[in-house]
Order: sequence, then C-alpha cells, then structure tokens
Amino acid sequence: MSPNGQARGKKVTVPYNLYTIILALAFCAVLASAAFVAYQCYTQYGTLFKIPT
Amino acid sequence: MSTLTKVLIVLLTLSSIFLCGIVVTYVANADNYRQKYLDEKRVKDAKVESEKQAQKDFNDIKNKMDTQKTELGNEIAALDRKKRELETDLTEAIRRADEKDLLASKWEDLTIEFTKTNESQRQWLEDTLAKLKAIEVEQIEGDKELKETTAALIEKMTIIETLEKQSKFLLEEKTYLQNELDKLLRRSGRAVAPPVPVTPTKEKVRVAPPTVDIGLKGLITTVDLENSLAEISIGAASGVKPNMKFHVTRVDRFICDIVILDVEPEKAIGTLELMDVTKEQPKAGDNVSTNL
Repeated sequence: MSPNGQARGKKVTVPYNLYTIILALAFCAVLASAAFVAYQCYTQYGTLFKIPT
Repeated sequence: MSTLTKVLIVLLTLSSIFLCGIVVTYVANADNYRQKYLDEKRVKDAKVESEKQAQKDFNDIKNKMDTQKTELGNEIAALDRKKRELETDLTEAIRRADEKDLLASKWEDLTIEFTKTNESQRQWLEDTLAKLKAIEVEQIEGDKELKETTAALIEKMTIIETLEKQSKFLLEEKTYLQNELDKLLRRSGRAVAPPVPVTPTKEKVRVAPPTVDIGLKGLITTVDLENSLAEISIGAASGVKPNMKFHVTRVDRFICDIVILDVEPEKAIGTLELMDVTKEQPKAGDNVSTNL
C-alpha cells in the first residue's frame, strides 16, 4: 500500500485505497439505503421496529 | 491483499449497490398501508356513522309513515263515508234529474200545445177581426140603408097621412053619397043592399092542438093553390082529427103546414099555412107528418 513500490517499476497494482473507497461506497450505499428505509418507515408508520396498531 | 479479497470487495460492493438500489426502489414505490388503513378506517367510520344516521332516519321515517298510515287510514275511512254519501246524493240527483227531464218533456209538450193553441187562437182572432171588419162594413151599409129606409119611411108615412086624409075625405064623401042614395031609394021604396068589400078579408090564424106524440104520416094527393087547400091520403081511420096540424116536407126540406078542416075515413082536407110564395110550393106526392 505504499507509493514507493510503484516508483521502483514493479507490477502495476491498484492501491488498497481504491478498494477501501469501493468498500466505503458500498457502505455508504447501504447506509443511505437503511437511512432511507428508516425515514420512510418513520414517516409512514411512525415507528421503526414496532408493528403499528 | 489477495486477488480473491479484491474480487470479493468488488462483488460485495456491486451486490450491495444492486441490493440497495432494489431496496430503495421497492421502498420508494411501496404503498403507504398505514395511510390506506387510516383512509379505509375513516371511510368505514363514515359508513358506520352514515348507517346509524340512515337507521335513525329510517326509524324516523318509519314512525312518520306509521303515523301517516294511521292518518291516511282515518282519511280513507272518512272518504269512504263521504263516497257513500256522495253516491247516495248522486243517486238522488239522478232520480231528480230524471224527474226534471220528465217534467221538462211535459212542459215541452205543454209549450208545443200552448203554441199550437196560441196559433189557432191567433188565427181565430184574425178571422174574427176580419169578420168584425166585414160586420162593421155591413153595419155601416146597414146604417146607410137604415137612414135611407127611415127617410123612405118618413116619406111613406107622409104619403100614408095624405092617403088617410084622402080616405077620410072619401069616406065622408061615401057617407054623404050613401045618405043621398038612401034618401033616393026611400023615395022610390027600395031597400039598401049591404055593402060587399072588394078585397076578401082573411081569417085570423087558428091555433092547432099539439100533435107531437101521434106520429101520423101520409102523402099529399091534391093541391089547390088558389084557395090554399090540400088533400092528404090519411083520414079518420088513421086517427086524423079536425084542426090537427101536419107538416109538409120534400126530401129534407120544409114546405109548409096543413091545418085539417074536414076529415073523411080515408082522406082529409086542410088549409095551407106558413107557405112562402117565393120558395117551393106544395104539390101532390109531398110527405105530410105530424112530427118533423
């Protein structure tokens, strides 16, 4: 994961940060989806986990 | 980091993004069941309330209808009574109308008869007026004739007075001449003959006894118009008596009367009376009878 390796002319590889960013994007997407679902649940039913009566 | 880890990271990321997209899409398009529930519940509550109101209205209307039914029943009973009364009145009115029609026809007949009577009376009145006018004209002519006759009568009376004076003068002269003739005849010794009237005097009419109940019938056999005598074919054998009066008829016309003077057994002779010289004269073959 160090930038020195690329400078020595080694095999070009994708830095680890890219995968981190990809994971971060996936996490963000999941988080955004969860937040959206939570918002929808709260706005429509008034609760997040209980079954409305 | 191994390649497998990298591949897993990429797959995880892609699947996460895919699933998250699906989830977000589903959640975004999902129906709001709570809102629907609330709407349905509100609709249901409204329906229930409407049902209650409708039931209440139904009960009110039912009560009202019952009341109206009772009232209408009473009204129907009253109308039935009134209908029966009206039917009775109608029957009475029809009967009266029939009577009125009958009376009207009677009055119509009476009116027609009265009109005819009036017409005949008017005609009779016109005829009477015409006759009255004719009589008035005749009366005027009669008055004129009466005046002329009166004037002629006065003239004749004057003439009669003159003639009476002349007659009186002639009578005095006759008496004087008779006295002179008597003197002359006495001197010569003759008697005076009684004076004979030039015009024969007629006898007065004798009243014949009534012969109504006898009923004798016969025929004239001979007529002497110069002496006013006639002979009939029945006599004392049939019951004829002197002074009995017979009526002479020809067919259905009266000619004259015969008063019996002399009666024989089979014939009788009598004088003719009530004979009008301007009309028909009795002749042989005319019927004689005591009753007309």
